[in-house]
Amino acid sequence: MNADGLLDTLAASPLFAVALTLAAFIVANALFVRLKRPAWLPAVLIAALMLAAALALIGLPYPRYREGAVWLTLLLGPATVALGMPLYQQLPHIRALWRELAVCLPIAASLAACYALGIAWLLGAPPDILASLAAKSVTAPIAIGITEQIGGSVALMLGALLVTGVATAAFTGPAAKLLKIEDERVIGFTLGLNGHAIGTVRAFEISPAAGAFASLGMSLTGIFTALLLPLAWHLVGGGP
Amino acid sequence: MPALTGFLWLVGYYLIGEAVVRLSDLPVSSGVVGMLLLTATLILLRRVPAPVAAAAQPLIALLAMLIMPGVVGVFFIIDELQGQWPVILVALVLGTLASVASTLWLLKRLMDRS
Repeated sequence: MNADGLLDTLAASPLFAVALTLAAFIVANALFVRLKRPAWLPAVLIAALMLAAALALIGLPYPRYREGAVWLTLLLGPATVALGMPLYQQLPHIRALWRELAVCLPIAASLAACYALGIAWLLGAPPDILASLAAKSVTAPIAIGITEQIGGSVALMLGALLVTGVATAAFTGPAAKLLKIEDERVIGFTLGLNGHAIGTVRAFEISPAAGAFASLGMSLTGIFTALLLPLAWHLVGGGP
Repeated sequence: MPALTGFLWLVGYYLIGEAVVRLSDLPVSSGVVGMLLLTATLILLRRVPAPVAAAAQPLIALLAMLIMPGVVGVFFIIDELQGQWPVILVALVLGTLASVASTLWLLKRLMDRS
């Protein structure tokens, strides 16, 4: 059997897609640490670029890769449920600051979606693209559910999620400095609310307190958006 | 074994969430309903059972990896965006910049006042 034939045989197994994904994730994380954790180049971005390059190089068509990788993505459901644990653990934080958070969350989470949607709409983006951008600040497992409900493209939404997360991680530090904000709770909450899991990972690099507030911001934004965005979308007639 | 028991908890709550969504026609995903039900259960229990923590912790740490197969898809749909991608990129980057500044400013003001 020649080399091409061997590769075809291996690529036919779903485990090939699984191995490719695991390898990209592990190598990307090692590279990220080696690069001294740059805010503008999170490990997810490195991993996604490497994986795309690997697929192109091997000549494995994306739909076939995706079919095999279902063995991994199936875990997103239970992983979303798992987010209930940090949410429970942060209840004391929520209780201590509930007034401030109750005012801030609905405004900030709505703005997170509205700014980008407004700019895209002004620049003439069609409705199906707007639907794919709406959940841009929501953590992926929740955002996938929202996007399917309002009729957007999940692939485009996940790309938007990546860009938003990277931009949040890169902007939050300088913006806080400019606004003379040093409170790690504020910086952490902002990272989680706007930058979902990617922002939360960044917050944990700053301090555990920032990380706790980031997970809080991420969970609350996810719940708020999941409950209200499909409804709001329906009301403004954005749906198909 | 504890992690396996915890995993059964998580899958069980996901399936309950799926049943609730099917029966109620709520516009929410099954995972979110499962997550809220798990949080409610933990509040009633007043603690996180060890098996749940053993399964939830590693799964949450892997979230970034679990979304990668989907994220990679964006590189393969650029052709289908019919030249819309500069608009999308500008909207996302500027929108996020504005949104980050708003959240920082708003929460800081609210916390200063109290």
